[in-house]
Amino acid sequence: MLGFHEELDIIKVSRKGSSNSGRDTILPKAETFMGIYPPSFENLINQFIRLPGIGQKSATRLALYILRSNKEHVENLADSLIEVKEKIKFCSICFNFTDNDPCPICLNENRANGIICVVETPGDQLAIEESGIFKGRYHILHGVLSPLDGIGPADLKIGELISRIDKEGIREIIIATNPTTEGETTASFLFKLLSEKESSLQITRIALGVPMGGDLKYMDRMTLEHSLKSRVPIHL
Amino acid sequence: MAHISPAIIMRTRDLGESDLLVTFFTPDRGQLTGIAKGARKSRKRFANCLDLFCLVNMEYEPQRKSSLFFLHSGKLVKTFCGLRTDFSSLALASYLVELTEILFPTGVVELDMFELLKNSYNSLNEGRNNEIIRIFFEARAMMLAGYGINFERCCKCGRTYTGKGRAVFQADKGGISCLGCEHESRLSPGMGADTINQFKVMQSETETKWGKLSLTGEMIEEIKPVLKLHIEYRTDRRLKTAKYL
Repeated sequence: MLGFHEELDIIKVSRKGSSNSGRDTILPKAETFMGIYPPSFENLINQFIRLPGIGQKSATRLALYILRSNKEHVENLADSLIEVKEKIKFCSICFNFTDNDPCPICLNENRANGIICVVETPGDQLAIEESGIFKGRYHILHGVLSPLDGIGPADLKIGELISRIDKEGIREIIIATNPTTEGETTASFLFKLLSEKESSLQITRIALGVPMGGDLKYMDRMTLEHSLKSRVPIHL
Repeated sequence: MAHISPAIIMRTRDLGESDLLVTFFTPDRGQLTGIAKGARKSRKRFANCLDLFCLVNMEYEPQRKSSLFFLHSGKLVKTFCGLRTDFSSLALASYLVELTEILFPTGVVELDMFELLKNSYNSLNEGRNNEIIRIFFEARAMMLAGYGINFERCCKCGRTYTGKGRAVFQADKGGISCLGCEHESRLSPGMGADTINQFKVMQSETETKWGKLSLTGEMIEEIKPVLKLHIEYRTDRRLKTAKYL
């Protein structure tokens, strides 16, 4: 007869088995089509499958498009892929992607010095830049604090942000991380760190609330709570 | 047929242009993973409810050809704002999710586990002591998963533990042994009688009743290495999120 904990060990093993079967369904990306298409074509499909958001069908469609395209087009695509990998690097100041270090924004003397807008990714910086409203400098963290994904403070460009405060004489830091659990925690973490480092520094957070064109009926309680707490007087 | 139940969001991952792959924990079906079509653009079906650790009312149904569920809509019930105020709370909330994922993978259902996770997030939200929340969760979750520590008798000589004197934890046996059979060491940490009594209370509680616990700092320091060894031995791994605690 099995002892209490020996029985538990068996349960543990069986659970591990069920765990793996569950995980397999979450990770659908696998190399497939073995033997159906010519090896070079299969290889191309498998390369596309590795891209984010591309499944088997999309990969096959893209591979077929490449096959049907003229050679010049395909060569240009291949050259662009290699060029972007070879030339694009991080700006040594703001950590945005650039082909010239420092990047054009950091070199632009017409932009306001002393204000830094901190964002999660280059895509967020691009969104703010496209709006044309902000004329200061940027700092890209390249992620947010996310223990589940193994990202801690040391994995973000936080040390580099702190070193910019003295070097560039920064007066205000706008924290523009996304209003998600991880983005908000990153904002809180930065606020505590920066206020301890420099008490005279003005640290602000982008406003949260009802979006333009939004419908109050569909707003969740937290968004409404934020909107009411951060209400502002009307200025005509 | 669509099913509606409370759920805690455990993980989300971008999928394609506007979809999300969501892992969530329900009281009646345990851990599930589903696709929320258009969730990143939808302002109506998933109004801000698919954020990490949120408590939502989820409407979902199984897909015919996949083990993934199809998420119809969700309504936010509670956002645990306290988790967002500092990194240590986020790290602990993430740790609780990771431990739940390991102990209760897809297909393993335990009704009390959902309540334990929800109550732990409530406690974190209210700003209770993170260390007590952690050890209570660990002890109770291990018990619910079938890995409760046996405090009844010495696992080596079989002598009944009367609730007096120190005892030594044995990770490989999942129980305690008397000081006559084993010496205290880093791999066999000792516990006092009061600590063992509190440990038994934590394991036996069906709900998070903090009032019944009277843990001192010394007891917490004794319990922490025991739970660490116990979890690592039984799950056969070191949790990724533990390094941030």
